[in-house]
Amino acid sequence: MRVLQLDNVQEVLRAGDSARLPSNAAARFKPGDAVRTRNFQPPGHTRLPRYARAKHGVVAIDHGVFVFPDTHAASGDKKPQHLYSVRFTMRELWGEGASDIDTVHMDMFDDYLQPA
Amino acid sequence: MAHDHHHHHDDDHDHSALPDTLLRTKALESLLTEKGLVDPRALDELIDTYEHRVGPRNGARVVARAWVDPQFKAKLLADGTEAIKQFGFDGRQGKDMVVVENTPRVHNMVVCTLCSCYPWPVLGLPPVWYKSSPYRARAVIDPRGVLAEFGVTLPGTVEVKVWDSTAEVRYLVLPMRPAGSEKLSEEQLAELVTRDSMIGTGVALAPGAAA
Amino acid sequence: MNGAHDMGGMHGFGPINPEPDEPVFHAEWEKRVFALTVATGFGGEWNIDMVRFARESTDPAIYLRSTYYEKWLLGLQRLLIERGHLSEDEIARRMARIAAEQAAGGQR
Repeated sequence: MRVLQLDNVQEVLRAGDSARLPSNAAARFKPGDAVRTRNFQPPGHTRLPRYARAKHGVVAIDHGVFVFPDTHAASGDKKPQHLYSVRFTMRELWGEGASDIDTVHMDMFDDYLQPA
Repeated sequence: MAHDHHHHHDDDHDHSALPDTLLRTKALESLLTEKGLVDPRALDELIDTYEHRVGPRNGARVVARAWVDPQFKAKLLADGTEAIKQFGFDGRQGKDMVVVENTPRVHNMVVCTLCSCYPWPVLGLPPVWYKSSPYRARAVIDPRGVLAEFGVTLPGTVEVKVWDSTAEVRYLVLPMRPAGSEKLSEEQLAELVTRDSMIGTGVALAPGAAA
Repeated sequence: MNGAHDMGGMHGFGPINPEPDEPVFHAEWEKRVFALTVATGFGGEWNIDMVRFARESTDPAIYLRSTYYEKWLLGLQRLLIERGHLSEDEIARRMARIAAEQAAGGQR
């Protein structure tokens, strides 16, 4: 294990921990596209919360290409892919009684999404 | 023997819910140090950095600049990472920034339901409430109830947008500039920008309200 | 994983109760856990996603009653043991030794 030394602390903090990757990975979606999140129950790490599975939303932003956490946690495989901010209505997420104006925006990886 | 300044009898008993937390922490640090896997001086430097040198006053300066400089504001909303870097606020947990603007029609609020993701370079480390179960659970299902707890009420015509930080993009809310602040300097404006207003659980202070 | 950490929409946690003007760290041990986690995170052996998964893998009942930095402490311990840097036995023995030193009045 590399040991973080006092002299390197500031430089290491500044260099940071961006998960963005230079990659030509194709975007499967673009802002404005209607999407549906996957219904899956991975036993390993994922960043698709249960409350947002099998839900319909609209792509709002394409953030570009990032490391995919699910595989990165399991094996270190970065599996570069597009990351999108997807807008969901409260009504879609929570059903009856939910606000019909408020929304939740979540960052979703390409692998979490299917065309709606 | 010199009395270590952080050797407080009561200090160590607070804020732990599990038995043996303090013992476990000491055991891990002592073992890792002995095995040469950590440098204690590097640990102290990390603590000092986030305890004293990074905090929400950073973000407040960015917001104040956006309020007075329309070109900067446009840049901030188009490319938050680059605009914030101009201030020298860059680094761990803030390398990919998106700034979301509050307007009379939209109020933004940021959460990380899965853990505690937060933009460290502009806001420092998150407060306990942001990282705790009540906020993480309720922000996405009852944002108006959460806002009411923070003393914020919004008309039914305003859309509340909750941003769940599920990936490595970090969000900063650009609060609305308070009415009556037209004559204030950029430095005075920064004093109106609270940490909560940049998370979205608050709004900027009215002029004259800052202590 | 469908762990306790995946809590968006859960009910029953009560009020948020923000603490006014709270300090960055509430106890000395929290600072040490923070620093140990960040420092070992640069060690090249695990990535941030593995760190999060280690925390998520905490027993749900323990996760929900832990404070924030306790979650970090348990996650760090899990990673160190999994990677063979420390053993549970070694940690337990060191804890017992420190406890004995404290009981004998030699707390540092």
